[in-house]
Amino acid sequence: MTARDYSVRDIHLSLDGELPADERADFDHWLDANPDMKALSARYEADRDRLAAALADVAEEAVPERLASLLAGGGQASRRRAAWWQAAAAALLLAVGAAGGYMAGLAGLGFDRAGEDLAAQAIAAHRTFTPATDHVVEVAANGDGYLKTWLSSQVGLTLVLPDLTGEGYELLGGRIIPAEDGPAALLVYQNSKGDRISIYMTAASTTKARGLYGEHEGTTKAIYWLDPGYGCAVVSDLPEDQMRPVARDAWRQMVDGLNL
Amino acid sequence: MAEMDDRRGAVLAEIPRLRRYARALLRDRDAADDLVQDCLERALTRLDNWRTGESPRRWLFTIMHHLFVDQLRKVKRTAEVIAFSADAQPEAVEQASQVDAVATREIMDALQKISPDRRAAIVLVAVEGFSYAEAANILGVPAGTLMSRIARGRDDLRALLDGGAPRPMIRVVDR
Repeated sequence: MTARDYSVRDIHLSLDGELPADERADFDHWLDANPDMKALSARYEADRDRLAAALADVAEEAVPERLASLLAGGGQASRRRAAWWQAAAAALLLAVGAAGGYMAGLAGLGFDRAGEDLAAQAIAAHRTFTPATDHVVEVAANGDGYLKTWLSSQVGLTLVLPDLTGEGYELLGGRIIPAEDGPAALLVYQNSKGDRISIYMTAASTTKARGLYGEHEGTTKAIYWLDPGYGCAVVSDLPEDQMRPVARDAWRQMVDGLNL
Repeated sequence: MAEMDDRRGAVLAEIPRLRRYARALLRDRDAADDLVQDCLERALTRLDNWRTGESPRRWLFTIMHHLFVDQLRKVKRTAEVIAFSADAQPEAVEQASQVDAVATREIMDALQKISPDRRAAIVLVAVEGFSYAEAANILGVPAGTLMSRIARGRDDLRALLDGGAPRPMIRVVDR
């Protein structure tokens, strides 16, 4: 056969079993004659094997009951998994009485550290800005859409500003605050009694997490949810049973808004 | 009815592979199993579309890929560009019973830092053993696109494993 010029492309073809069999020997000669290419090939192969090894165990794990039962269900409507706030509530129950507070309970359940970090920043922002009587917000909400446009441009996300009037909370306005990984938006809401709730939103999220975070019982808490590219926390000093419906309402509106 | 049970059995047999692929895509165990669950639920409503005698594997992987892309799209819609910085990558909290060796964690971390398109291409071919033609079919892209995703993805992985140097990167959709 006619020898042809090989390239890095052929290294990939060879590794992936796509190199024609009749070119195999010729390719191997080319590799031998080009030590750089041979080293590169060996490196790709080592990385590939490492990746396969890292994932091998997953395929050996017992199939979780919730998945196996779907197939055994005989076509019945499948069981829906718990909504995220139910998971958060379960975490709270487990954490009650734990010396370390919610944090220990959540960590023990495998909640992601990134969620806790975001929640902690959101709580810090809430504590800094919401007790103020003056200048609680940088830009007031006056219904003309400017607040949304401005916050979105600063954060780099098209934000949804939830309407919480159904829960008795009016949007006062918002501000941009510096966070570890970039700017975050803080929305502040207030009810007729003067209770304030804040919502913290950032684009700096690389993971998926949901949870409830608070340092101690009876202090400021955050209900948070993160997805890659979007992180949010609803923060308040309210008891959890009052906070949860508000967070759920906000979450629904954001999910709906983002899906449009 | 017996035929339906056969189909269900065949789908059941694919769950371990689906879980592995989902874990490679998402890393987080629960999120990955959520994706598998969505995939199975959708597959069950479409069992009639699957021809008996054909391996359900490709069919199921295609369904799962569509779900994964939908999920990414929802996130992408929220952002013009999603800037990821490597040092912001969270350390996944593994269950205590799982011993996550450093080497395993490194490569799984690196895999999460490359673009989802490249990640999917590499895993389908190099871990799940699909041919280029099959993987391109599952992903709904031309074979040339698949190849370039694999090549770039491998270079991304290599750079991440070597340097570990945080490098901000803007996700660009491969065309």
